Amino acid sequence: MFMPSLKHYGWGLTCVGGAGVILTAVMGYTYAPLVQSPPFRSPEAYRILFWHVPFAWTSFLAFCLLFIGAIVWFLKRKEWGWNLFCTGSDLGLLFGSGVVISGPIWGSAEWGVPWDWGDLRLNTFGLLTAVAFFLVLSRRSQPDGIDTRDTLSTVGLFGFALVPITAIATTVYQKRHPSVVITQSDETGLDPKMLQVLIIGVFSFWILMIGLSILTFLAYKLENELKQLLHILDKEVFR
Amino acid sequence: MDALPLIQISDLDIHRGSRLVISQMSLELSEGEVIALVGSNGSGKTTLLESSAGMHALSSGTIKWRFANSSMEIIRDSEGRRNSLPPFGLTLQKNGMSGEETVQERLRTVLSVCGCDIDHIQLSQLLTSWGLDHRSSDRVSQLSGGLARRLAVLSGLAPAVMSPSPRAVLLDEPSEGLDDNARLLLANWLRALASRGHGIILATHDSKIISTADRVIRFDEENKTSESSQTHTQSDFELPQPTSSTKISKFSSLMNWAYRMEKRNPIDTINRLLPSVLALLMIHTLISEDEIALVGTDFFAAMILLPSFISVVIPPALIPRYAEENCGRWWAAVIGPQFRTVSSIIGSSILLPLPLIYVSWIVLSDNINTLNHPDVLSWLWLPGLAILIVGMSASALHLLVSDLRRSGTSAISLLLLVLIWPFIELTDALDMIIVDGMSFSSSLDEPFSMIFLACFVSILVWAISVYLPDA
Repeated sequence: MFMPSLKHYGWGLTCVGGAGVILTAVMGYTYAPLVQSPPFRSPEAYRILFWHVPFAWTSFLAFCLLFIGAIVWFLKRKEWGWNLFCTGSDLGLLFGSGVVISGPIWGSAEWGVPWDWGDLRLNTFGLLTAVAFFLVLSRRSQPDGIDTRDTLSTVGLFGFALVPITAIATTVYQKRHPSVVITQSDETGLDPKMLQVLIIGVFSFWILMIGLSILTFLAYKLENELKQLLHILDKEVFR
Repeated sequence: MDALPLIQISDLDIHRGSRLVISQMSLELSEGEVIALVGSNGSGKTTLLESSAGMHALSSGTIKWRFANSSMEIIRDSEGRRNSLPPFGLTLQKNGMSGEETVQERLRTVLSVCGCDIDHIQLSQLLTSWGLDHRSSDRVSQLSGGLARRLAVLSGLAPAVMSPSPRAVLLDEPSEGLDDNARLLLANWLRALASRGHGIILATHDSKIISTADRVIRFDEENKTSESSQTHTQSDFELPQPTSSTKISKFSSLMNWAYRMEKRNPIDTINRLLPSVLALLMIHTLISEDEIALVGTDFFAAMILLPSFISVVIPPALIPRYAEENCGRWWAAVIGPQFRTVSSIIGSSILLPLPLIYVSWIVLSDNINTLNHPDVLSWLWLPGLAILIVGMSASALHLLVSDLRRSGTSAISLLLLVLIWPFIELTDALDMIIVDGMSFSSSLDEPFSMIFLACFVSILVWAISVYLPDA
């Protein structure tokens, strides 16, 4: 009898999540209604939010994985903590890039400027994604070792210490340079159809992220096992 | 009377990546003892030796050293506690010396770090005994590999030789690269040092050096160790006489060393100055009064600050100097937990930001007559001072990344992005000084508050990058 393993669950969730992400894009274009112009300067461009917002929420989860992994490695030096750290940085880069790429595209169309130094979320995600990018590049270029892991987990924690620093700087900056007005409408809340697409999008991205987390975590676990075997082989071939 | 312990290592576990390199190792080095660590490549000899000097994080266990008051104190443990070591001798597998230092400077530095007062004759005597006196004024980079190794070994032994009280010496493959005469000399010195009550741990493959040990600890491939003992008669080999002790000046020794290296080869100044001056000249060429009127004074303020900002974010020359032959690792072991703090300050651009800001203002404001508030020249030093602090943060970030073994392959600029905030704040502050003059109001819209905020953010970044890695 077929007994699904963790890897099978990982693949299954990734496929379901991926399909949901594509479905979100299709529904965003066909099912979600067009917004009014004005207040939106570029009504068609708003549809990017069906990916932009789920990207942001999912990358936040990925950054949390990175943070937890960094703490566990830093304090306890547990192998699973390091694997979690690697998984979090890979997925943080993937989903964080989604935020910092889709955000400026939408910003350029809607506000006329790609980046707003007064937007706390944008700046925080920008810096965290930069840190995740640094970690992914460094992990690939550095020889694995306890010193390397210590330094990189320190950088991971440094990334999170940047969040309050960015918050202070952005808030003070915003007081002198009022943030770009996103909408001047008095109406609040989303159209129910838009909300449906957004919810489908968020859940799809989350499922995708869980699937990718499982697969990435397992890949790093296997990589470590392989390193151990190679080390044994190093000794065997020299006997 | 029993010999007192100099180093106590208990229940040591050290991982390299996921691999356990040292498992439940306990070791005690006593006065007058030579311990040889023997084993195949990768068996953990160097890791144990370097860990004894507190250079590696421990998965479990404690390392204690004996201090001048005869108390055994923890220098590193798996709970994260760290302390500076008492004076000791250290020779790493690589020489741990910068190619810029001269032979006599190296030896003087080593001895001043260890609190040994030495005159010219004693220095010459030390160098003569290792056949280096005729090269005392040469730079280390001009020495052959064998001579450089002799100097590195002598630098490891000298703190014990010149000390009247027993000290620990750690030597990693000291005979590697030495000729037969030098190896014989080393063996004689090791026994003579032991006779004087100093304790030595060395990692080696050399049978001649192994034969000088009182205890031999063999590392096998399963992370297990076995121990054997050898007896030796009292050595009658004559070592140079110990010198009087002086105040230990670790930090000032490091500062002097960094200053001397820069004075001899000013790459830090040139690397920082050239891009800054080029940026200034390009701005001067491209910017006109009409353009300032079009884009606003905040752009002009940013252009004034840009050259000095560029000068402080450039990687400090201290980092490649530290990287040469593991020089930084030697300093880190000798200085202890404060190494990063001191390095982040001496590695930053201290002299350039202030003059650069004034030069930028003088050059750029020359043909812009509408922007000439009298307060600007009087208060330009304040954003300049803030940029100096930004420089300390940048230097600390560069040092953090330089901990990586292949630090040259890391994209440090991704971490430096955070320094854009102080730059924006300072630009706003200078913009206001240019337009309305200086104000000390505590409101967030006033220049002084903005400069304060820029300093605050920079100090936070500096503190995190300096203290977090050693936490």
